[in-house]
Amino acid sequence: MSKKRGLKFYLSIYRKILIQDLKSKMSYRADFVISTIGMIMTNLAGFVTFIVLFHNFPTINGWDLNHMLFLYGFSLIALTPVQCFFDNNWNLRAMVYSGDFIKYCFRPVNVFFYFMSEVFDVKGLGQFAFGIATLVYAWAKIGIPVTFITICQAVLFLLTASLFMIAMMNVAAATCFWIQGSGYVMVIMFRFKDFAKYPASIFNEVFKAIFTFVIPIAFVAYYPSLVLLQPDNIPLLTWLSPLIGLVFFFLSYAVWMLGVRKYDFTGS
Amino acid sequence: MTIRKYIALMRAGIMESLHFRLGTAVTLFANLIYLVLVYFLWKAVYASSGVDVVNGMTFNDTMIYLILATALFNFLEMFVVWDMSRSIQSGKIILDLLKPMSFRTYTFWSYSGSHVAQFVLAFIPTFIVVMIVTKGAIPMGLNLVWFLISVVFALVVNFSIEILVATICLYTESTWGVNIVKETIVLVLSGASIPLAFFPDSIRTVISWLPFRAIYDIPLQVLLEKGGSDTWLGLAKMYGLQLGWCVILYIAGVLFWNHSVKKITVNGG
Repeated sequence: MSKKRGLKFYLSIYRKILIQDLKSKMSYRADFVISTIGMIMTNLAGFVTFIVLFHNFPTINGWDLNHMLFLYGFSLIALTPVQCFFDNNWNLRAMVYSGDFIKYCFRPVNVFFYFMSEVFDVKGLGQFAFGIATLVYAWAKIGIPVTFITICQAVLFLLTASLFMIAMMNVAAATCFWIQGSGYVMVIMFRFKDFAKYPASIFNEVFKAIFTFVIPIAFVAYYPSLVLLQPDNIPLLTWLSPLIGLVFFFLSYAVWMLGVRKYDFTGS
Repeated sequence: MTIRKYIALMRAGIMESLHFRLGTAVTLFANLIYLVLVYFLWKAVYASSGVDVVNGMTFNDTMIYLILATALFNFLEMFVVWDMSRSIQSGKIILDLLKPMSFRTYTFWSYSGSHVAQFVLAFIPTFIVVMIVTKGAIPMGLNLVWFLISVVFALVVNFSIEILVATICLYTESTWGVNIVKETIVLVLSGASIPLAFFPDSIRTVISWLPFRAIYDIPLQVLLEKGGSDTWLGLAKMYGLQLGWCVILYIAGVLFWNHSVKKITVNGG
């Protein structure tokens, strides 16, 4: 990988691989339909839990239903990229063990890029639609102004938020290069995403710090969404979140690639 | 003679689950973090509501209920659906079908070992911790015995639902989707993610007749002596519901399985 290739080159490759993947998915149509229904059901279930909770308690820590829905929709959208574009992380462990992973090391493109581009998870789009609907509803109910600036802020901070979950899953998946039977790590990391839809202000100081800097779930929705929810009182961490997101992403990428190098080394 | 076969399968299951100790440790750790979230969330919820008792549940009651529900969830977790789809894909299912024991019985008893191991390794420690931390909020008496009986019913209901869903997979060849639908429905309607006492009355009436409640809500109510389970009549009603669903789901499962297994298509093997 000594030669640097342009973004255009990678985009065209991505498109080609994507089409192949979608073609093979289409041959299992029933599976696709049922999986999509399943995805919608999980989102609905999360939604029902929310409604039931608010049926009994009108506010949680000063957050009313609409603000919580905003946070919920925000987290669903922020979790879409990891679901759609980085789903192949789930297959990493099996491929490393079976030795199939070696094929990625012999291609003249970036290993990380090539590995991730192989799978595009269509189910994520259902979640995306659900998230958009929730966010738009909450946005209108709260009465956040619709201006060019707020839209730009929403897009930028949604992208930011998505980086954190991607980073967490990359690191979780990469553990398989070092630890045997690390499947649990991914499952657990994936379960942590359910924490994202609650305001981090409910935690005490210690756990708030842990969920901000160690397992950064507070960045998946809470901090980035404050830019729209509390425009008068935006904390510093919100403004820094795009930067922190990039740092987390590159760190996770570095860990992942370190694992690949280690894999090359042992030739296992 | 038959009992010996079952005991052998159970022993194998116990040994198998003891082998994956790291997995158990990591699961326990994850549960701990999960419970931290649950704790802070409900603490904030009760703090905002300004009252101590909501729908007959105090903060302590809710925490005990949810912690033990998580512990029960780990203990009852089964992967029949995944196992089934894997054996269909690899063709191994033929070997399972040829065994001199029905597929259902075989699966049930091989899982029973891991159930026993998980109960001792995960549920009992959690229970003791909760007992000590809450200083006697869990009544200690005959209810423990009634709870154990109720857990056995819960286990059978859970297993029957698993088998029914696994049978659906024979047709759809889609495991992820079918399984996630099942998991979602069970978690919401059984009280594992939010105590059933918090549901609006009209919905609760419907849910109280469904089988999912028999898995988490009834054993926990019996343990905590809530929902009328401290009277003989109330207890009998709960057992009646569990037993009823055991029978219905058992018959449905057997009929559906016998009908479907004839249509099974296996590639390779």
